Amino acid sequence: MLSYDFMQNAFVVSFFISLLCPCIGIFLVLRRYSMIGDTLSHASLAGVTLGLMCGQNPVLSAFIFTSVCGALIEYLRKYFKKHTDLILSIVLALSVGIAITIISSGKLHANADSFMFGSILTVTQFDMAMVIILSVISVIALILLYHRLLYIAYDEDAARVAGVRVELINYIFSILVASAISVSIRIVGVLVLSSMIALPVATALQFEKGFKQTLMLSVLFSMIDILSGLFISYYLNVAPGGFTALMSVAVLAAVMLAKKLSHRAKSGACS
Amino acid sequence: MIKAENLFFSYTGNAPYVLENINFEIKNGEYVSVVGENGSGKSTLMKLILRFLKPTRGDISTQSKRIGYVPQKSENVNLGFPITVYEMLDSYRKLLKIKDKSVVEESLKIAGLSGLSSLLVGNLSGGQYQKALIARSLIGWPDLLILDEPSTGVDAESQKDIYSLIKRLNTERGITVVSVEHNLDAAISNSTLIYHLANSRGHICTPEQYTEEYLNPERKHSRHA
Repeated sequence: MLSYDFMQNAFVVSFFISLLCPCIGIFLVLRRYSMIGDTLSHASLAGVTLGLMCGQNPVLSAFIFTSVCGALIEYLRKYFKKHTDLILSIVLALSVGIAITIISSGKLHANADSFMFGSILTVTQFDMAMVIILSVISVIALILLYHRLLYIAYDEDAARVAGVRVELINYIFSILVASAISVSIRIVGVLVLSSMIALPVATALQFEKGFKQTLMLSVLFSMIDILSGLFISYYLNVAPGGFTALMSVAVLAAVMLAKKLSHRAKSGACS
Repeated sequence: MIKAENLFFSYTGNAPYVLENINFEIKNGEYVSVVGENGSGKSTLMKLILRFLKPTRGDISTQSKRIGYVPQKSENVNLGFPITVYEMLDSYRKLLKIKDKSVVEESLKIAGLSGLSSLLVGNLSGGQYQKALIARSLIGWPDLLILDEPSTGVDAESQKDIYSLIKRLNTERGITVVSVEHNLDAAISNSTLIYHLANSRGHICTPEQYTEEYLNPERKHSRHA
């Protein structure tokens, strides 16, 4: 299977997705911002369609447009302090509106469907280079900002007292979210992308460990979900996005069941 | 240490003001409890001292090298956050760019939490959690400690421990303490000064004056009669 060029490309891209998505996802989930991931993954479709219409690389255009939408969400927070849920509806309306208008106009020079559902076959060498560059920059940024992001997620006021420039870090973080989404849309697809951000983290949280261990477990489960999803979808000849999402739900369910059985066994041993 | 001059604040930028014509000066080494009814502006004043908010008019300034901040327990709603006591303190040390790792163990020891560093913060009792927040605020040795209702959600026995710890930090280490309080008994027994807020205005007094003025008004009236 890995003798095919397209599978090698897909494998490399999947590796970076499984590394980047949970590293971003853990901060989104713990700040209870999972729906931002969903909104920005829909925003990335508008970026893809804009790129395809203008004859530009769709991964790059998705990254730029999603970054703008991420920054817009941060900016609008000041104006909708009491109705923050409205912000996501506004950005969703803008981006899905752009995507549907462009797709229905018939002016696309390529098929946008593969970005909706994810595809192994369509990963080009240029896409792969973009994915590697964005991933490496994002991972370096995450390492540098690790403690600041952790504290903004855990206790924003304490972070401010310690001198963290919360607004600036939030803007940088929205670019990192855009990066993770742009890296993932080729393989996973827009529709299930948010599950790649949230579900490995949800699985890791079942172990009730500290932050660093939860982050490592999130990356481990993300690798299991995405790589097994990629290989099995190849043999079943189905879109990898959908099957990866199913794998992530199955792994979460298995961990929850194992946890319940282990609790029952422990309480049985005590009584 | 902290000086407020003709301070006005409202969330809208216009009258009515939450705080109106506030003037006070808190000197180094004082233990000041800020008291008042709900909605009297206690937390707003604290946020102004911390510079989370900007005055609408007037000025408030602190001459502090480092501020330690202990938030209210109920405000920190995310008790399910996967973070150990050690991680909570060590990450904070890194935010403050303090290289010496031993400050974490030292702070935990002062707060009486040495054996609990590997526990998840969400698994701590109310009292232990409050002590962990105090331990975090001690990282980097602040000269000003600001606490927001430190006894909220804490059982009576742990409250004693917490106030004794705050008092020791104030008297033995000379840390200036400003504590927003709903616990009047603790405010009277521990503070050197009380700042009372009512109807958007405030005034500073000693615990004895406060007891006389607000808690025993009948005694005061009968004495004047």
